[in-house]
This record gives sequence, structure tokens and C-alpha cells, in this order.
Amino acid sequence: MPDIGELIGRVVGIIGQVLGASSLRLGIGPTLAIAGVLLILLSLVARPISRWTTRDLGRLSAVGRAMALAAESGAAATFSLGTAGLARSVAAQERLQTLAALPILAHVSRAAARSGVSMELSANDPVAVMLAEATVNEAHRATETLERAGRSLVSYVGEGRATAAGRALADERSRGAAFVMGGLGEEGLLLLDGMAGGASSTSFGTTAASQASSVLLEGEGTLIGPELYQAPSDLRGVGHDRIAVFAGNRLIWILALVLVLGSALVVFGHVDLATFVVGR
Amino acid sequence: MRRTLPTVLIVVVGLLLLADFVIINPSLAAVAGVLIEYLVLLSAAAAVAGGLSLVARHAGDLLHRRGERSSSLLVLVGIALILVAGFYPGSRGADDGAVRWLVGALLAPLVAALFALLFIFLLMAARRGLALRMRETTVMLAAASLVVVLLLPLGGVLGSWLATAGSWVLAVPIGSVFRGLLMGVAIATAITAARLLLAVDGASDD
Repeated sequence: MPDIGELIGRVVGIIGQVLGASSLRLGIGPTLAIAGVLLILLSLVARPISRWTTRDLGRLSAVGRAMALAAESGAAATFSLGTAGLARSVAAQERLQTLAALPILAHVSRAAARSGVSMELSANDPVAVMLAEATVNEAHRATETLERAGRSLVSYVGEGRATAAGRALADERSRGAAFVMGGLGEEGLLLLDGMAGGASSTSFGTTAASQASSVLLEGEGTLIGPELYQAPSDLRGVGHDRIAVFAGNRLIWILALVLVLGSALVVFGHVDLATFVVGR
Repeated sequence: MRRTLPTVLIVVVGLLLLADFVIINPSLAAVAGVLIEYLVLLSAAAAVAGGLSLVARHAGDLLHRRGERSSSLLVLVGIALILVAGFYPGSRGADDGAVRWLVGALLAPLVAALFALLFIFLLMAARRGLALRMRETTVMLAAASLVVVLLLPLGGVLGSWLATAGSWVLAVPIGSVFRGLLMGVAIATAITAARLLLAVDGASDD
């Protein structure tokens, strides 16, 4: 039977073998960048105290009022998770938008549940549909209004981005409030227009740069680019939950510093910083 | 426990895949490969479950005479048509001529017709944007009109000047705005992904 020293020696040996058989896929620069994101975030988790100035991103603070008006008029609130989904064969960045939209959906669902407004949700991906259903049920559970949960409906609008747009355009019912949060493609304008038609309050958001103009034209409340990721932190009451924005702001400052310093080095020092950072 | 197990799974799987992304190691690659295969299988199962749920829902609507029955019938007939075309004896699945015809002659024109509405809806959206926020939309539409003028297919000296100016506008001011937006999105994406991996997304109780 090996003693404790021998055991530790073997474990260290195995770790050494594993490390010896490994190499960095992206090179030192990008690997440090990825580790840096995690480290900055961890440092903020450990020390989340900071001054905080909040903004009303996407007019989400007015959701409660919009739901009260919807309850008075007897209209439903509609929420689309965009056209990227979670299990569809689109870019990972597109799919992450759907996850980022879920806390906003939770916020809207809680306001709807409190006001007794039924929710009509749509997504074009079965996994996103399941998550949306769970989010709405959780909102009813949190607000102790489970008896109203059956009035909300989650629809799977089928594969293809055009389907969601066609469905929204064909729906002529008036809506109390309309929300579209998530990935959008070229047909985004049609989806937004269909959702905005007849809605007394709209809030749209996407990180797709090509659809920023569509969101700006159609939505009263807008979340453009990184704002879609920052908005959920704005909705949280605890400082700890606003870490995303703290970390994002710090990374943006670091990035700006790197860009300025890199530009200065390229201009005055003839250094190819881009090759070092990108690794090619 | 209801939340702990999924959180632990997310953290462990996410960190493993992240480690495989940055480190080349045969053992790690094998584990990551298995996890990705599970992910693909789960996605496929979810897609099948979604399809079955759709059929069950519309069949139920038809049987119980609720909702828009004509739409439900249309959905079921559409699903049946594609399934029959893809599964009849001797069919080549998605590459079968019948499936390709249904997609090429029916679905593609429908999608193209929908996309053809974009220009009309763009004008309507511009009107709506002007009603919502006059000043900002005016600036945006003025800039868009300027870009359209610069990209006009004109010949001669004027055309050459416009083409040069159009290229500069696309590469410098518009390009820099897009790059800035993409950098912000990339940072926010990394932060959101890190929050998911580290399970720091607490439940909101607003």
C-alpha cells in the first residue's frame, strides 16, 4: 500500500504527464485574454461594492405601467425570443442572445402575472420554447399567481426565420405590450413591425449590428448591441447582480487602453500588435 | 437541489469545453467530443419532441373543435406532405426530388415573397420612427439617404467621385461604428458567458 507521500507523488506525476501532453491552442495572448475575463469577473464577484448609476435601458422600468394599461384594456402581452433560438444551427453569439433575453422575459412575466395579463410567447426553437414556459411558470410561482398560469401561451412557430415574421404580420389582434428580445436576421424589420402593430407599448432588443436600425425605427424602448446583455443587470435589485455591467465597463476601458496604446505603438514604434493579439 | 444540479452541470461542462477550446490535450478533447455529441443528440431529441408536440397540439385543436381549425389543418397537411416526400419507400430523404421540389417551388417563393415586403415595410418603419423620435430618426434617415446617393450606379467623373466617397464612407465612419458595436457586443458576450459558466446569475426578486 503506498504511503501518502507516494500517492501525492503519483498524482503530481499524472498532472505533469497531462500538462506535458498539452499545448495552448490559441497561443499565449488570446488564452490570457480569455483567462482575464474570468479573473476580472471573479474579482468583481469577491468585491461587488461600487458606485452605481442606473439607466432605464429599453424602457423596461415602464413594464409595470404597460401591464397595468394592458390589464385595463383586457389585451395580452406578446414576447418573441427572436429568431436565433438555442438549438438551431446558427452562430453561438446569436444563440447566447436568447439566453440573455430570458431574464428580461422573467421581468416582463412577473409584471404580467401581478397585473393578471396573459402572455403570448413565441420562439422558433423547441429548447427556447421549453425555457420560456419554465420562465413564465416560475414568474407565476414567484408572484403566487399560479392559477393564472394557464392563460399564458407559448408557441413554437416552426423552423425558419421568415415563419416568425409572417406569423407576426398576419396577427391582427391588438396587444397591450410587445417585446422582441434576441437574435434577428434580415427579416427582423418584418417581425418587429408585425409585433409593433396594434401594441400600446413596445420594447425591442438585439445585438445584431445589421438590425440596429430596424430596432431603432420600430421600438419605443430599444436595446442595441451590448445593452441587451446589460439590461438584465439593471433589472436586479442587488449590487451583486450588477457585476456584468461592472465587469463589462472595466473590460471596455481596458480594451480602449489597449487600442490607444496599440495604435501608438503601431504608428510610432512600428510594432505589429495585431498579429501578437490575434495570433496570426 | 432543483437548481443546484443544473448549475453544477452548466459550470462543469462549460469549464471543460472552455478548457478544450484553449488547451490541446487528447484526453480533454475526447471528453469534450463526447459532451458535444450528447449536446447534438439532446438538440435533435428536443427538435423531434417539438415537432411531435406541434402535431399533438393541432390534432387536438381539430379533434376538440377549438382555435383556428383551418390553420391547424394546413399545418398538419404541410407536415404530412414533407414527411411523405422524405420517407416514402425508396426516398433519398432530404435530397429526394419531391422534397427539393416542395422546398424550391413552394417554400422558397413564399419566403422570397415575404422578404420582398421589406422595402415597403422599411418605409412604414421610417414613418413610425419619425413619430416615435423625430430628431434621431431624421438624422438616421438623412445619413441613410446620403449613403444611397453615394452608392448610385452613375458613370463619368461624378460617378467615379461618388463611388470613391461611398467606399470611404462605408470603410471609415460606418465601418468604425460597426466595429465599435461589435467590440461592445463581444465583451458583453464574454461577460455573459462567464457569468453562466461561473453560475453568478442569481434569481431576481424585483
